[in-house]
Amino acid sequence: MKIGYRQAFDKTFTITAGLSVFLMVMALVIILGPMLSRGSKAVFFRGTVEFRKMQLAIFNHGSSDQVQAETARVEKAREPVYELLENFQIGIDVELLTDKTREIYRELGQQLRQMDVDRETYAAIRAKAKDIRDTLSDILESTDKDYVNQGIEVILKLSDDPDFKNTVAEQFFPLARMYGENVKNIDLTQRDQYIAALEEVKDALRKLFGPLPGESTPPMPKDRYGATRWDTAQQSLHQLLWAQAWVETKPGESLEKISVRRDDPQKGQFAGTSLEPLFSLVENNLDDMLQPEFTIYWRYFLDDWVNSHYFGGVGSEIIGTLLLTLLSMMFAVPLGVISAAYLVECADENMVVKIIRTCVNTLAGVPSIVFGLFGLAFFVLFLFPRLNMPSKPCILSAALTLSILVLPVIIRASEEAIKSVPQTYKEASLSLGAGRFRTFVTVTLPAALPGILTGIILSLGRAAGETAPILFTGAVAMGPQPKSLFDGVKTLSYSSLDIATGDRLAMMAPHKQYGVIMTLIILVLCLNILAIIIRWRVAKKLRGY
Amino acid sequence: MESSGTPNHMIDLSSSAAEFNRPLLLTPGEDLKGYILGHVGRWSLFTITSASVLAVLLIFIFVIREALPFLTQFSLTEFLTSTRWYPEGTPHEFGALALISGSLYVTLGALILAVPLGLSAAVFLSDIAPFKVQQICKPIIEILAAIPSVAYGFFAILVLAPWMQKNLHFSTGANTLNAAVILAIMALPTIISVAEDSLSAIGRDIREASYGLGATRAETMLKVVIPEAHSGIIAAVILGMMRAIGETMVVWMASGNATQIPSPWWDLSQSVRTMTATIAGDMGETPKGSDHYHALYAIGFLLLIFTFSLNLVSEYFLSRVRKAKGR
Repeated sequence: MKIGYRQAFDKTFTITAGLSVFLMVMALVIILGPMLSRGSKAVFFRGTVEFRKMQLAIFNHGSSDQVQAETARVEKAREPVYELLENFQIGIDVELLTDKTREIYRELGQQLRQMDVDRETYAAIRAKAKDIRDTLSDILESTDKDYVNQGIEVILKLSDDPDFKNTVAEQFFPLARMYGENVKNIDLTQRDQYIAALEEVKDALRKLFGPLPGESTPPMPKDRYGATRWDTAQQSLHQLLWAQAWVETKPGESLEKISVRRDDPQKGQFAGTSLEPLFSLVENNLDDMLQPEFTIYWRYFLDDWVNSHYFGGVGSEIIGTLLLTLLSMMFAVPLGVISAAYLVECADENMVVKIIRTCVNTLAGVPSIVFGLFGLAFFVLFLFPRLNMPSKPCILSAALTLSILVLPVIIRASEEAIKSVPQTYKEASLSLGAGRFRTFVTVTLPAALPGILTGIILSLGRAAGETAPILFTGAVAMGPQPKSLFDGVKTLSYSSLDIATGDRLAMMAPHKQYGVIMTLIILVLCLNILAIIIRWRVAKKLRGY
Repeated sequence: MESSGTPNHMIDLSSSAAEFNRPLLLTPGEDLKGYILGHVGRWSLFTITSASVLAVLLIFIFVIREALPFLTQFSLTEFLTSTRWYPEGTPHEFGALALISGSLYVTLGALILAVPLGLSAAVFLSDIAPFKVQQICKPIIEILAAIPSVAYGFFAILVLAPWMQKNLHFSTGANTLNAAVILAIMALPTIISVAEDSLSAIGRDIREASYGLGATRAETMLKVVIPEAHSGIIAAVILGMMRAIGETMVVWMASGNATQIPSPWWDLSQSVRTMTATIAGDMGETPKGSDHYHALYAIGFLLLIFTFSLNLVSEYFLSRVRKAKGR
């Protein structure tokens, strides 16, 4: 019994231990999974014709003939949609019509003056036209359908009037006729609601297909194009088709907010109106109107971003990250490797060396944000002004700060690598008469080089990923590429922070948000996997087979 | 000492003989030159190596230098005991207790999660797992350690926070628990690798003696090996704690940044603000040379003292492990 209990405990212990490792692996998968999969949507997605238009206009990628042909095809497909919209709008948006009526009346006056008619005819025609204008304005304002229909009849009776022949006034009649057609199916008392709903529809259409015909080019590049991706197109389509409405689900109970299709025959906002067919038209023909194609946007890693990461890629961030890390390596690598060489080869274990080791360990333990504070206080505010350099955060101060941060990593890795060179190598060299220096340079260093390289690669990854030290020492969220050592630098790590917390525009494009962090993770992972492979090969070589 | 390699091909004497036409004995001049060069080289190497010492000194000097105006002008007791942090108010109030407690909250929360998990993972890797599994797990731990902290923070705020809000019904997704969970995952690799090293440093003899007495593996680990490896495990915990307390990006993004001590004290669903997050968040908007600016350096100095003393303690325990290994 006792033994059974003990064995059960032993089993539980083993399983718990295994489970904790499993949990750790799961944590890695859970953390990396969503970021990599959502980030990959920035590169692999179904791009629409709007995407290709945008690429051509902003980055000059793609063939212009093809895009033009596609645009023509797409515009033909979209035409009926805009037609429906315009016809409906005339019935609803009365301000437009009222303006038009006034304009016709004014033009008529000018035309009559030029036609050189006598004063009396002029006055008579003017008076008749004025009547029409006022009636039209009245019925446009009115919400009573019968009144509207009577008014239209009155106006249309005048359409045969010879006085109006060949004048601008003829335009009154099609206008009135069209309005009469349009209001047939509309509840005029709810005109205000229609106007609000129509704005929503137009907004959704803009998101799908870009600016409506006749609208001026918007100032923001993001508004100049419709849905560039099939998934955002689906979202905008949903916005187009569905409206939030307060509906009484059960009689006597409070209203509930539910989604209702705008063209729903019973409850839909536009049920029975001339706009009704628009929704199914867009829904069924969205493929033709956007022409989605599977796209691999590999230029994501090269393109600069536009409109706060709404379009474009992370090219400038990648370049900035590489510049910054390589610059910091230029300071840290010589220092670190020489320090390691001294600590392994020359130093006896005395007090001084102990202090140096403690300092290296301390340096490794200093919080990264304190490095940032130090970089700001020392490099930016103390050292640069004294060397007659501009005292502002820049790529040089950021690189120097990072180089101190990665120094202990390089020292430790190089120390390990130099230590792991078999003693026999050195002894063979020494026995041939080479001095200690020559032995180190020609025998130990080449043998330790892969190990040192591993350390350098790992610290490259570390430097690329660190954000806190460069917050105040040189990272910027936007701006041009650094032209000198004294400009700010855009990096992947800082952009990830900015895009996750500060950037409102980027929030509307989650694939871009995740794309930046995916790029950073892939960069760091590649460096680490490279280091692991090198180390594995070195271990194999040192084992001797 | 003997060399283990044997030449497996004959050296072509005729071509290499030309290189050995110099006398083997050095002249006194050459001897002296070599001696001087050797010493000059040694000293210059030493100077370069001292760069890390210099860096540590400079870090301390400059952080203290910028913190000094604050430390002389304002009362230190108020800084350490008041929870009222209103750096832009009139008059300025710099009570950092809520920030210190915020750091402790997320750090201890992370340790509570990470230490048992890390320890049992270390036991699994050192004593239970077959060699193949170890070979697979080590790179995974390395990758876990290599993921940039901003990526962890990104995950915390855009994936974990909405999830917590939806499934755990917290009022905000950016809270102490969120930060603690992510910090625990970040501290795991440190804890696992240091603890595993110290467990492996305990020799086979002790384990075999225990097995020989009839103990099961669980008993051997819990009653013999882990007590024996305690200094390394303490060092592992301290190093994990250092990683957690000095972490900036994750807590800045995930902890919610509300300067308060959660009440009731166990309510981890409330937001806190840590020292590191305060520095990162405030420094950008603070004019250089203002009281607020110097106060942030004072916080940085406090952090530096924390991590420096923790580092010394961990050094002490690690040196004991090394001694035990060399025994």
